Amino acid sequence: MRPFRLHEPTTVQEAASALADAGGGAALYAGGTELLLAMKSGLLAYDTLINVKSISGLDAIAADGNSIVIGASATHSAVEHDPLVRDRLPLLSEVEHGVANLRVRNVGTLAGNLCFAEPHSDPATLLLVYEAELDVAGPSGSRRIAVGDLQTGSYETSLGPDELLTAVRVPAFQAGVRAAYSKFGYHHRPTLGIAAALAVEDGVVADARLALGCVSPVARRLSRSEDVLRGERIDALTEGASALREVSRLASEDADAVEDMHGGVDYKEHLVRVFMERTLLRALAKNGGGDA
Amino acid sequence: MTTREFKTVGTAVRRVDADDKLSGRAQFTGDIEVSGMAFCRLVTSPLPHARIMSIDASRARALPGVYAVLTSAELVNMETHYGSDKKDRPVIAIDKVRFQGEPVAAVAAVDLATAEAAVELVEVEYEELPTVTGIDEALDPSSEPVHESNFCHEYGYEWGDVDSAFRECDRVFEDTFEFPMVYHYAMEPHTCIASYEPDRIRLWTSAQHPFLVQAEIARLFGRQLDQVQVVVPFVGGGYGSKSYTKIEPLVTALSREAGRPVRLALSVDEAMRTVRRHAARGTIRTGVMNDGTIVARECTGYVDTGGYTDNGVRVTERFGDRMPGPYALANVRVKTYGLFTNSTPAGSFRSIGGPQAIWVCESQIDVVAHALGMAPFEFRVKNLVREGEEVRRGRRPIEGDLEYALRRVADEFGWDSWTSGPTPPGVKRGIGFACGVTNSGASPTSTSLVRFHADGSATVYIGSAEMGQGSRSVMAQIAAEELRIPYEKIRVVASDTSAVPWDRSTGSSRSTTLMGLAVHDAAIDIRQQLLDLAAEHFEAFPEEIEAEDGRASFKGESVAFAALVRNMFGGSGGELMGRGYVTPKHASGKLRQDPVFWEVSIGAAEVEVDTATGEVRLLRYYSISDPGKAINPKQVEGQDEGAAMQAIGHTLFEEMLYEDGQLLNPNLVDYRVPIFTDLPHEFETVLIESGNGPGPYGAKGVGEGGIVCVAPAVANAVFNATGVRISTLPLTPERVWRALHEAGQT
Ligand SMILES: Cc1cc2nc3c(=O)[nH]c(=O)nc-3n(C[C@H](O)[C@H](O)[C@H](O)COP(=O)(O)OP(=O)(O)OC[C@H]3O[C@@H](n4cnc5c(N)ncnc54)[C@H](O)[C@@H]3O)c2cc1C
Repeated sequence: MRPFRLHEPTTVQEAASALADAGGGAALYAGGTELLLAMKSGLLAYDTLINVKSISGLDAIAADGNSIVIGASATHSAVEHDPLVRDRLPLLSEVEHGVANLRVRNVGTLAGNLCFAEPHSDPATLLLVYEAELDVAGPSGSRRIAVGDLQTGSYETSLGPDELLTAVRVPAFQAGVRAAYSKFGYHHRPTLGIAAALAVEDGVVADARLALGCVSPVARRLSRSEDVLRGERIDALTEGASALREVSRLASEDADAVEDMHGGVDYKEHLVRVFMERTLLRALAKNGGGDA
Repeated sequence: MTTREFKTVGTAVRRVDADDKLSGRAQFTGDIEVSGMAFCRLVTSPLPHARIMSIDASRARALPGVYAVLTSAELVNMETHYGSDKKDRPVIAIDKVRFQGEPVAAVAAVDLATAEAAVELVEVEYEELPTVTGIDEALDPSSEPVHESNFCHEYGYEWGDVDSAFRECDRVFEDTFEFPMVYHYAMEPHTCIASYEPDRIRLWTSAQHPFLVQAEIARLFGRQLDQVQVVVPFVGGGYGSKSYTKIEPLVTALSREAGRPVRLALSVDEAMRTVRRHAARGTIRTGVMNDGTIVARECTGYVDTGGYTDNGVRVTERFGDRMPGPYALANVRVKTYGLFTNSTPAGSFRSIGGPQAIWVCESQIDVVAHALGMAPFEFRVKNLVREGEEVRRGRRPIEGDLEYALRRVADEFGWDSWTSGPTPPGVKRGIGFACGVTNSGASPTSTSLVRFHADGSATVYIGSAEMGQGSRSVMAQIAAEELRIPYEKIRVVASDTSAVPWDRSTGSSRSTTLMGLAVHDAAIDIRQQLLDLAAEHFEAFPEEIEAEDGRASFKGESVAFAALVRNMFGGSGGELMGRGYVTPKHASGKLRQDPVFWEVSIGAAEVEVDTATGEVRLLRYYSISDPGKAINPKQVEGQDEGAAMQAIGHTLFEEMLYEDGQLLNPNLVDYRVPIFTDLPHEFETVLIESGNGPGPYGAKGVGEGGIVCVAPAVANAVFNATGVRISTLPLTPERVWRALHEAGQT
C-alpha cells in the first residue's frame, strides 16, 4: 500500500475543512475495514486519510426524543450492545450482531458501512424501514437527509467532496409495530436483505414498510408491496396466503435485480419471493409490542 | 502385532512449538530482518496472454531509493527456467506472459513505498493474444497455444480386456463431473528473503521442501549445493502451495542485481496468482452386471494446469491413478491429460488429484448403485478391493481391510438406522457416503542426525518444515521413545540446509512415516552405542542391558546415559551421533514398493437442503483416519479434521472465477473459504490403528485422506435428500437451486 498522511482532527469542522483543503486527495477513515482493503489492493489511493475517530464525541449514542442518535464513529459492536439501542431499537441491535464477523464489527462503523455504499449492506436496507435520517456536515454547515437519499449507486453517495456524515438518527417504531429482518447468502456480505415493519391495529395492518437490499446496487422501499399489505387482516396472512404471494411477486418485480457474483437475476428474484414471505411471517409471528 | 509399552508414543504430548506460537515468539519468514535488506514489489501482467513488446524500466531505476529492477534482460549467466518436472517456468516472464498476474519486472528498493512507486514507473508494452480459459478452450484446436501446444502431459494405463467387458456386461453407465479451480489459502502468503553473495547464496523462505529449493537455486545460479543455504522458519500453512520452488528464483536473481539481500512478501491476491489446485473434468464409463458386480471402468480426465506446468505432470498422473477407485476391477482403461490455459499455474494441493478423482469416482458409484436399485453402501462393499489385493496392477497391494473400515464408519455414523426425522416444509435431509484410496506420492528418501549430549539431552536434526502439522513434536516423541529419555529432553532443529541433513520434502503425508523412520533409526543408532558403552561399563553383553528413563541397568545396578557419554570422552563433555538413512532399500523391507503406503479415506455425511433457496447445510460428517499407529492421536485428528474442513470449501463455496483470463475474486471477501460457523454440528474422526504402515511403530501418513471424500459424500447426500444429482462443484445455493428447479423440485 502506498504511504499516506494521517490527519487527526478533533472537531467536525476541522475534518470538513481538511477534506475541502485536500480537494479530492483525502478520504475519511473510520474503522478502515473497507477503505484500507481497497487501498491495499490498489483500487483506491489517497495521500491523506482523515481519522473520523479522533473527533471528540463522535462515538456517542444518545436519545433525542423518540430517536436514537448514533455518532459516526460508533462501531457495529458498540451499536449492537448499546443499552438504548437494545431497549428501543432491538431489531437494529439484532441486525448489527449479524453484520460481518466479530473482528469487523469491533472496528467497522455503521456510518462507514453506509458511506462506502457497497450494494450488499444490511443496515442500509434495515434503516429504510426505520425511516432513519442522517446528519451531514460540511464546511458551510450541516444538513439532514433521509437515509434513502444517501446512496446513489454502487459505491456512490450524494455527499459532497467536503462533507461528512456525523450521525445516524433512528426513530424507534411505534408501539405495536411488528418487524423482522432476513438476510441470505454464503459470501461474507449478504446476497439479499429484506426488512419489514408492520403497524398492526385491531388485527389489521395499518401501515407497512418494506425494504429490499443487496440484489441491486441501491436498497429500496417496496411501495407497491406495502400498498397490498395495508388494510389486510393479519389472521389471513398465513403461509401461502394470496396476499403474501402478491406482495412477494410485486417485490421481485420491483427488485431490479442485477447479476453479480452473488447470483443471476432469476435466482435473485426467486430469493426475493421466498424471503419476502418468510420475513413477513416472522414479523407477524411477533405479536408482542415493539420490534423485538 | 505385539503390543509394546510406550512412554511418549501414542500420547497427545504438548507440542514443542506451543509456547512459541501462543506467545507470538515463533519466527516466520516475515519476521526476519537481514541487515541491508531491500524490499521487493512486482510489476505483474494485467493481461492473461500477451507478447511482451518492450519493457522500459529506466524511470524506475532512476527513482532515488531504487537499487535494481529485474526483467528478463537481466537473466544472464544463469539458467533461466525452473520447475519440478518440466522446467518451463521462467524466473521472470521472458517475451510472453501466460496468465494475469505473472511477474514481468521486479523492483528492489530501500522501502516498500519506494518499491511501489517504482512499480508504477515501469512501462511495459504488450501485444495481446487470444486467451485460453478453461478445459474446453484448451482442447479446442483453434485456440491460441499457451506453450507449443495446450497439452502439458498425457497419462494412461490399461489392463484386462476392456472392450469385451463392456460388450458383455449387462449395463453401461457414463457420467461426467467437474471440479473447480481452488486456492489453498495458507494464512501466510509466500514470503522469501534472498541474499546473493559472492561465495554463497542464503535464503529464508516459506518453503515446504527446503532441499529441493536448494538444488533448484544451485542449478539456476551455477553453484554447488554447499554454497546454497535455505532456511525455512515456521511456515504459516502450506497445503502444497509452498511445494517445490515458487518465488525463490526471482528473489535471488533480484538480489544478484541489487547487490544486497532482498525480501518479497506476497499478498493473498498475489499468492492466488502464484499457485492453485487443478480444476478437473472426469468422465467414467462403468460396466456392471445386474447383480451389482462392476466388470469394467474406463476413465477419461482433464486437469487444467494453467499457464505453466508446475506440478501438472504428477497431478495428471495421480488423477488417473485414483479415478477408478478402491474397487476390484478386472478391466480398466484410464487416460488423463494435463492442459495449459491462461490462469494461475496449478501445483500441489493436499492429495494431488485426489479430491478431483474421488469426486468423479464416488459420485458415479452412487449413480450406478441407484440405477441398479442397490443401496450405495452395499454396492461399494460388494465391489471393494480386498486386503492384500492390488488396486493398481504392479503396485503395492492394499494393506488394510477396507470393508472393516467402511463398516466402522457406517456404524459410528448410524448409517443403517438413519431416518430423516421431521423437517420444516421445503427442507429435506439425506445421507451420503464415499470412499477412496490414494497412493501416497511420498518418495522414501530421508536422512536424520541425532546428537546425544553429555547431560543426557538430545538434539534431533530433520529436514521437515514445520507448517502447523506438528512434525517437530512427533519427531521429538519418536526420538524420546527410542533414546529412552523424557520427551522434554529433546530439541528439534529443522529445515536449515546448512545444519540439518538432507530430506526430500514435506508433503504427500510423508514426514511422520519417512522422516520419522530416519529419526527412529538415528535414535536406535545412539541407543546401540549407549548399550555398548554400558556393556563395557558393567562388563556384560549389550543384550543384557536394560535401557530406561535415561539410565542403563544391569543386575540391579544402573548408570546414567550422561555418565556413559562423559566417561567415553574421559571428562566433562562429549557427545554421541546417531544417523538414520531412509532409502527404498531400507532394512525393514517395507519401502521397496510404490506407493510406500495407501492412504484410506472414507466419509459419511448428513445434509439438509433448503429446496426454496438451494442452501446445503452439512449437519454431520464422519471421517476415518488410519495412521497405522497414532504417535500423537490429537495431531492425527487435527490432520483429518483440518483436511475435511478444507474440503468443505471446495464442496460448498470455493471457486476461483475466471472471465476472459481475468481472476474475478482474488481476495478473501469474494473468495469464500470455510469459517468456524461452517463446522458441521457433529464432526468426528474415527481412528483405526491397523499397525501396518512402513513408518515407525507401523505408522503411515494421514495428512491428506480427510480431504478427498467430503465432496462426493455431500453430493451423494444431496441426491439422497432430493433425488437430484449435481455434477459440478461447488454446491453453492444458486447451483443447487438451479438443479432442483430444472428437476421440477422447487
Ligand atoms: C469480511 C467482511 C464481512 C462483511 N460483512 C458484512 C455484512 O454481513 N453486512 C454488512 O452490511 N456489511 C458487511 N461488511 C461491511 C462492513 O460493515 C464495513 O466494512 C464497515 O462497516 C465499514 O466501516 P469502517 O468504519 O471500517 O469504514 P471505512 O473503511 O473506514 O470507510 C468506508 C468508507 O466510508 C467513508 N467514510 C467513513 N466514515 C465516514 C463518514 N463519517 N462520513 C463520510 N464518509 C465516511 C470512507 O471514506 C470510506 O470510503 C463486511 C466487511 C468485511 C470486510
